[in-house]
Amino acid sequence: MVVDQSIFRIFDKIGKHLVHQGLNTSHSGNISIRSGGKIIIKRRAAMLGNLEPEDLVECALEEEDSGSLIASTELGVHRAIYKETDAMAVIHAHIPYGVTLSLIEDEITCIDAEGFALYKKVPVIEVEIPAGAYYTAIEVPKVLKNYPFVIVRGHGIFAKGMTLEDALQNVTGAEQSAKIRYLTLLTGKPLLRDYSKEKDFSDW
Amino acid sequence: MRMMNNELLKINLTKKQVEPIEISDEILEKYIGGRGLGVRLFLNRIKPKIDPLGPDNMLIFTTGPFGATNIPTNGRFSLVTKSPLTNGIFYSNSGGSFGVFMKKCSYDGILLKGALDLPGYLLIDGEKNVEIKEAEELWGLDTESTLAKLKEIEGKNIHVLMIGPAGENLVKFASIMNDATRAFGRGGLGAVMGSKKLKAIVVKGGTKKFTPYDPDLLKKYVKMALDKIKIVPITRSALPTFGTSALVNVINNMGMFPINNFQKGYDKRSSQVSGEAINKQLTKEQEGCYACPIRCGRLTQAGDMSGKGPEYESLWALGPNLGIYDLITVAQANYLCNRLGLDTISCGGAIACAMELQEKGLFKNKELSFGNAEELKPLVRAIAEKEGIGNEISHGAALLAEKYNSHETAIHVKGLELPAYDPRGAIGHALGYATSNRGGDHLTGYLASMEIFAAPKKIDRFTMAGKPDLLALKQNQKATEDSLVICAFAGWALGLDYYARFLKAITGIDYDVIEITQIGERIYTIERLYNLREGLTKADDTLPPRFLNEPLKEGGSQGHVVPLKEMLKQYYFVRSWDEKGIPKKELLEKLEINFNSKEGS
Repeated sequence: MVVDQSIFRIFDKIGKHLVHQGLNTSHSGNISIRSGGKIIIKRRAAMLGNLEPEDLVECALEEEDSGSLIASTELGVHRAIYKETDAMAVIHAHIPYGVTLSLIEDEITCIDAEGFALYKKVPVIEVEIPAGAYYTAIEVPKVLKNYPFVIVRGHGIFAKGMTLEDALQNVTGAEQSAKIRYLTLLTGKPLLRDYSKEKDFSDW
Repeated sequence: MRMMNNELLKINLTKKQVEPIEISDEILEKYIGGRGLGVRLFLNRIKPKIDPLGPDNMLIFTTGPFGATNIPTNGRFSLVTKSPLTNGIFYSNSGGSFGVFMKKCSYDGILLKGALDLPGYLLIDGEKNVEIKEAEELWGLDTESTLAKLKEIEGKNIHVLMIGPAGENLVKFASIMNDATRAFGRGGLGAVMGSKKLKAIVVKGGTKKFTPYDPDLLKKYVKMALDKIKIVPITRSALPTFGTSALVNVINNMGMFPINNFQKGYDKRSSQVSGEAINKQLTKEQEGCYACPIRCGRLTQAGDMSGKGPEYESLWALGPNLGIYDLITVAQANYLCNRLGLDTISCGGAIACAMELQEKGLFKNKELSFGNAEELKPLVRAIAEKEGIGNEISHGAALLAEKYNSHETAIHVKGLELPAYDPRGAIGHALGYATSNRGGDHLTGYLASMEIFAAPKKIDRFTMAGKPDLLALKQNQKATEDSLVICAFAGWALGLDYYARFLKAITGIDYDVIEITQIGERIYTIERLYNLREGLTKADDTLPPRFLNEPLKEGGSQGHVVPLKEMLKQYYFVRSWDEKGIPKKELLEKLEINFNSKEGS
């Protein structure tokens, strides 16, 4: 199936951004949208930074279908997210700073102004087997009901959005907050202003 | 439910019987309040295919759990009834303070049925006293005079819903005015109140206080919300500075500002009625509803008249859509509509239809021509009084065009005249017009917020991908917001992530975003079921042929038409409706819609 040109253009743009900005490796990560009650998702093993029109696969939203033969390995997570949340687009990326902090923290509090205005915090969850869809499909949608993203510890981020661009903003926003937090921790110096303490986002 | 009274006032006007009815927690948890509660009560009690202007129709006013809290923009309340304009269900909400004080009088709502034999008004006070009083001396008065007279009789500390002469005369697009300057504007709700010979509803006093489940948590979330409202440009500066009229130049520059009954989408003269022009020429002071930090209202002076507004839709409907660009004339016609109790959008839409019929040589009246500003105010009066050509126009654009065998000239959906966004300029918004349960309405889904204003996120306004899915989500979310009840303008800065947390903090019930969105879907679905029962079909989910076949010839939306057929097919699929637009059994099961259950009895 070759999807509409306008859809391909946006997949191509987002895919290139994710790879060129170092948010995914050449073959990692996957992206999808919900359109006409179906899922359009990146093909398995296709390179996000070099997508061709036939690298986009249309799959049923409610049930398993033959599209899963060639769709991304994480189709099950995307499908579960669409079924259980208000997501219109989903991006999965292996963001380096976010994944690093997820290995040492239970949630990543945004200490930068942009981060706390938009997100407040980045939730982190742990699943038994982080890669592949089985466990993540159960746990990730639970968090995405109330948050725009979640990091699976040691693995990567799943972000939802009303559009792919929106989901990309959430991925890059989470990574930016994680990066600033990481670099700040690296200095070993106390913060002169700690927004997270001023605002207390613990029960957000 | 916490923050609600769990009690509603049921009044049979024919029998002059007043009785409180208990609203169960089960109903509130499934429908919340406001629009959801109103729709649920309406569907459970209304007989099939009743005359909207007969005594069997009901008016159900409701508040929601956010009312009378410190949550920003909680001053709104809802009304549900059957519309004489669409013959389908109609939900509306209005701002001001009436709803909050009704709630503080210990009632979550008022359900009115039957009809008085002589004009009367209803008085509710803070001690739960309810009285139906004679209104012979109010009948025939405009809304400003009615409010003044009622303040003489009942004292200054009152809030009033009332109809003007248009409602008394059963004009099909009469509004119910709220403290004379705000309105339950659309759908002819004033005619329903007029058919009951009910001139006004007065709330006096009301001091009950409500304690949220977790006051500290609520306070914290409210602080976060107020901070967000302060940093988002639309709520921080555009709406407070210009009110809704800020939209005029933006929409005109996109080539989707309807001119002369949607025959064009751009006219450079439109800037003469823009927000900037209003501020320069008319604005006296800013004004806002109860608990509103945005304060988008404007008190204005135009020549020898003064009042509130005009809002964006009114400016357009009584201005450029009639070929009129004189701001004073437009503002005065708007004041007049408010005083007479007329919906400005439908009034302008019906007049525009008449003007185009005249242009086509079908409607023989020389005064009716695009651009004739002098005749506008006399015509508005004639409509309210149903005199001469005003009588013909008073039935709405659809019936007027049908009479002259020129149905394509009426710019409406399901009988409701379209508002100020040409659907050819934003095709997701266009699908919203076609599928709204209340007809040609911009607020039910308002995909224009994304297609035009990039809020909360930008989407291309001419591509179809994902639009049916997004629209269905936005329609469900709006049904939720209308049930909480919170102003749509708060949505420029906030969203359901805030609202779910507010609701959890005030009720103690563990709601999440998805649950409250599904409540919206439940509400949207039962509204659809009602409309189907009343005889509306897939054929009514459409747009005037102009938008499907005739591209705009100039401006920023030039060359586009609406690809409705394909979008509608996808939309039904997304909604789990069959190919005829009927909700499938599996959907009803998922949403726990069962009118044979005890809860639904």
